[in-house]
Amino acid sequence: MPAPSLGVSVALFVMMSTGSPVRDASGAAFPAAHQTLPQPSVMRVPGQLRLQQTPSAQKPPDGFEPISEIPPEDRMPAAPMVIAAYAFVMLAFFAYLLSLARRLGAVKQEISRLESELKRSGRT
Amino acid sequence: MPSWFMRTAVACAALFIAALVFIALAPYERDMGLVQKIFYFHTPSAWMFLTAGVVCGVASARYLANPSPRFDRVAWASAELLVLFGAIALVTGPLWARKTWGVWWQWDVRLTSSLLGWMIGVAYLLVRRYAGPGSDKLAAGLALFGIANVPFIYISVNYWRTIHPPTSVVPKLPLSFGVPFYLSVTAFTLLFVMLLRLRVHLEEQRARMDSLYLSLDE
Repeated sequence: MPAPSLGVSVALFVMMSTGSPVRDASGAAFPAAHQTLPQPSVMRVPGQLRLQQTPSAQKPPDGFEPISEIPPEDRMPAAPMVIAAYAFVMLAFFAYLLSLARRLGAVKQEISRLESELKRSGRT
Repeated sequence: MPSWFMRTAVACAALFIAALVFIALAPYERDMGLVQKIFYFHTPSAWMFLTAGVVCGVASARYLANPSPRFDRVAWASAELLVLFGAIALVTGPLWARKTWGVWWQWDVRLTSSLLGWMIGVAYLLVRRYAGPGSDKLAAGLALFGIANVPFIYISVNYWRTIHPPTSVVPKLPLSFGVPFYLSVTAFTLLFVMLLRLRVHLEEQRARMDSLYLSLDE
């Protein structure tokens, strides 16, 4: 196999380091780096995972799909996350309401004190 | 507490209880199972976070154009709610992601822009608290950056490569998922309106207190 020319080597280097398409003298684009290099393994995104495992199989769903049952081993690890999420939401609302009530109470107390002071001084 | 508060709070609590019942009855999602139930509180809180950003931005823009204290009070109140609902979205999201994606956090466009929006809200509150005289207009300018970020947060999942679900998930929800979800959205919206009104009421009372101090000094 003949060694690539300097121009082609530079083009390949730019392409692989930036991912942007590089064109040859005739204007045809080299394939982008992400199309030629092996893809990194993705995280557990259900749709993408299924697509990678069976490239020619069914199209991944673009929405939620109900299921009547899931294996018990899949249920338990999720429970602490769900409980933590709902508990945090409730605690956040409760804490904010409490903070609002305290601030409002303090201001109203100050208002009544000032009003009585104004009344005493006869400047209502 | 003002007279309207108790009625609204009871209605809000009833809606939340109904939402929780329907969430418990909703089926498990095929791929994610139980953990998908975080969606029913995560997404409405994220929507309220974006709504608060819009309300804060619009009220701030109007305050800069016409410095009426009414707009300033609404902007300040909604900035607090932006931080509250944003914190909920940013905490419940990673709890969901840990089980579904295998990681707590990913620096993708939706998550990063949401964090940026939340930090703008925090910056708004810090400016209001510590920047002294003129902080109202400084914070209003900051809120304009916040509102500019809102559409970017929303559409980012449709234009950039991301592991976050796209915006097409919600319109395509089956009925069994849709009923608890929209019930939850209604409860969150009512709660948002109630908290906004209560927070604005607090600012009105503070303004009244300030005028009483001035009357005493005269």
